Amino acid sequence: MIDIQEKLKEIGPYVEAPDDYMLVCRCEEVTKGEIRKAVHEGFFTIEEIRRYLRSGMGLCQGQTCGKLVKGIVSRELKVAPTEVEPAVSRAPMRPMEMEILAEDGGVAHE
Amino acid sequence: MKIERYDMIVVGAGPAGLSAAIEAAKRGIKPIVFDENQRPGGQLFKQIHKFFGSKEHKAKIRGFKIGEELLAEAEQYGVKVVLNATVIGLYPEKEVTVRIGDEVKHYKGDAVLVATGAAENMVNFKGWTLPGVIGAGAAQTMMNLHHIKPGNRVLMLGSGNVGLVVSFQLLQSGCEVVALADAAPRVGGYGVHAAKVSRCGVPFYLSHTIVEAEGTDHVTGVVIGQVGPDWKVIPGTEKHFDVDTICLAVGLSPMSQLLKQAGCKMADTKGGYVPVCDEDGATSVPGVYAAGDVSGIEEASSAMIEGRMSGATIAEYLGYITKEEKESRVNELEAQLDTLRQGMFAPKNRGKLVEKTEEGIDVSMNLLEKGYVAQDEIERYPGVTKSKGIHPVIECTQNIPCNPCQDACKMGCIMIGKNITSLPAVDSNHKCIGCGMCVASCSGQAIFLVEEDVEPGYGEVTMPYEFLPLPEVGDKGMAYGRDGREVCAAEVTKVRTSKAFDHTNLLTIKVPNEMLMTARFYKAK
Amino acid sequence: MNRIENHPILGETPSRNKVTFTYNGQVMEGYEGEPISVALKANGVMAHRYTAKKHEPRGIFCAIGRCTDCVMIVNDKPNVRTCITPLEAGMKVQTQYGVSAEKQD
Repeated sequence: MIDIQEKLKEIGPYVEAPDDYMLVCRCEEVTKGEIRKAVHEGFFTIEEIRRYLRSGMGLCQGQTCGKLVKGIVSRELKVAPTEVEPAVSRAPMRPMEMEILAEDGGVAHE
Repeated sequence: MKIERYDMIVVGAGPAGLSAAIEAAKRGIKPIVFDENQRPGGQLFKQIHKFFGSKEHKAKIRGFKIGEELLAEAEQYGVKVVLNATVIGLYPEKEVTVRIGDEVKHYKGDAVLVATGAAENMVNFKGWTLPGVIGAGAAQTMMNLHHIKPGNRVLMLGSGNVGLVVSFQLLQSGCEVVALADAAPRVGGYGVHAAKVSRCGVPFYLSHTIVEAEGTDHVTGVVIGQVGPDWKVIPGTEKHFDVDTICLAVGLSPMSQLLKQAGCKMADTKGGYVPVCDEDGATSVPGVYAAGDVSGIEEASSAMIEGRMSGATIAEYLGYITKEEKESRVNELEAQLDTLRQGMFAPKNRGKLVEKTEEGIDVSMNLLEKGYVAQDEIERYPGVTKSKGIHPVIECTQNIPCNPCQDACKMGCIMIGKNITSLPAVDSNHKCIGCGMCVASCSGQAIFLVEEDVEPGYGEVTMPYEFLPLPEVGDKGMAYGRDGREVCAAEVTKVRTSKAFDHTNLLTIKVPNEMLMTARFYKAK
Repeated sequence: MNRIENHPILGETPSRNKVTFTYNGQVMEGYEGEPISVALKANGVMAHRYTAKKHEPRGIFCAIGRCTDCVMIVNDKPNVRTCITPLEAGMKVQTQYGVSAEKQD
């Protein structure tokens, strides 16, 4: 387990960067600055960042931005990207209508 | 709730998935293959270039033809492929949920093979969300499947094989590629792929990245800039290009989410998030297998072999063949795979600068830094020899696993030997008859025929030509050097097409004798 | 015209059925069965949707149904991935603003 307070001390406060405006998650329109800031607020794993900012939670489910988010988080945490804890993998793997999911197996109708 | 049971369920009807299903079906298994796309074959049908390797790897056959062969084989062995079927979940008990039409269907496999392939990596820069910024895969899909040009003026980012191959395909479909940029200091893909793009006149900007995509509603231009050692753009080095399309080819990542969901042990590696597999593709969950790019990015050729290995392994797991039968088949396939994994671009050399060839010859730094072999470098390679009569000039300068040129020459002029990564050498004791089979068979389009003094002061260069319109005999135009610069006037003296050449036409131009080692491309005036 | 009629490797593009569809009420032509996005591209349409938060234009990005940037409202259904949805005669295709067909402020 990472000691959050220790890590926060180590990485120092969030400092604005000129490219903070840049969009990272195309679906939910989350910027680099928002992700960087979240790390300095103590969100260190992809799962936490997803839930906090909704990056990677849109229609494409992080297909496009997954690696970019991981890169940003790892740089802020000063660790290798492979050390950032990835998100949980859940069905459905592709966007689909709630209606179809709800009728899965016919159970929801009964 | 109804659950359908199958011996073997395959997710993904690309090269790996289909190969595995075929291999298993040959052993009596009746596999079912799900694919979310309208057509099977994965990315093979977008690959219109000739593949590398040797005969056993289907070298010199174009990707989409290999795709057709695979489909025919799948049909022959009764492999059931369900299209427009999106696998949305894979659970530890090997239950697979599939969206088909407006329904979610449930299946259970005694063995499940995940062959979902890879997704494209992306980079972000100012304006990267503008319409007109596309993935290289998107460009391939548009031009090679749907017969539409992705754009008119394109900038390509990425000098790996995907970036190079797609740049050439863009040129073939009639687009203008204004530049090829890469933040890396050296070309990442095969030198022969770079060389054929270079001589068409596409400038390479290594150590350059995109600063900004310009435009309000869609791309109208792009600015690139040189990066320093810290990967930041050096102020003052910005260059602007008018483009309507920016194509991103910055690598692939395995699409392994299903395996993770199934509870397979995963490893986060430089090459992406991959399942931990043994050499036959078995994951940590018994009965769940992975093959192809999902278990580590490689070429389609290796994906097909990996698929076959998994197919044989699954056949043994399900009791259709004995352990001995499986092992003999897997060993045979492993040998094929090993051959493909040799040479300068072998997985073990990834990211390393190889400075010498296996033969001890200096690698062309110009090729790595600018995309073409310099005039003063070319003569040090064994395929480049000088003689008066017609002879092949093989501008193959890196050790890549490929040998169709050796088989193509019936006269024995070309030698590679047993080790297929060796550079081809020209044996001047054997007489070239100028048939051009080597020119057409070289997947890298790196072979030319050269003949001096066809008439006083003039000689001929024969080159591979895969563009439209095809020049005609008597046409006058300009010859271009390896660097894509105009070198001299040229006249077309021969145009050969043949079924055996498989759409690689042989174009012969007449140029002054002193230009025979310089002229490598032709454009009409 | 950005359609490829003849290709040095793939040869002549096979002939297909021409159909009409509407794009924001405007009648356009495309080929039956090709992705909606391809028909739109042939007609010069680049922006498929405008995003919910920043109202920025988006178009074809991955062309294989992964990135979902090309989604539009097709036959009154939002979030349809136009790069993998085959064109049918008479389809009603509309720019998507956020998740709606109505332009937002």
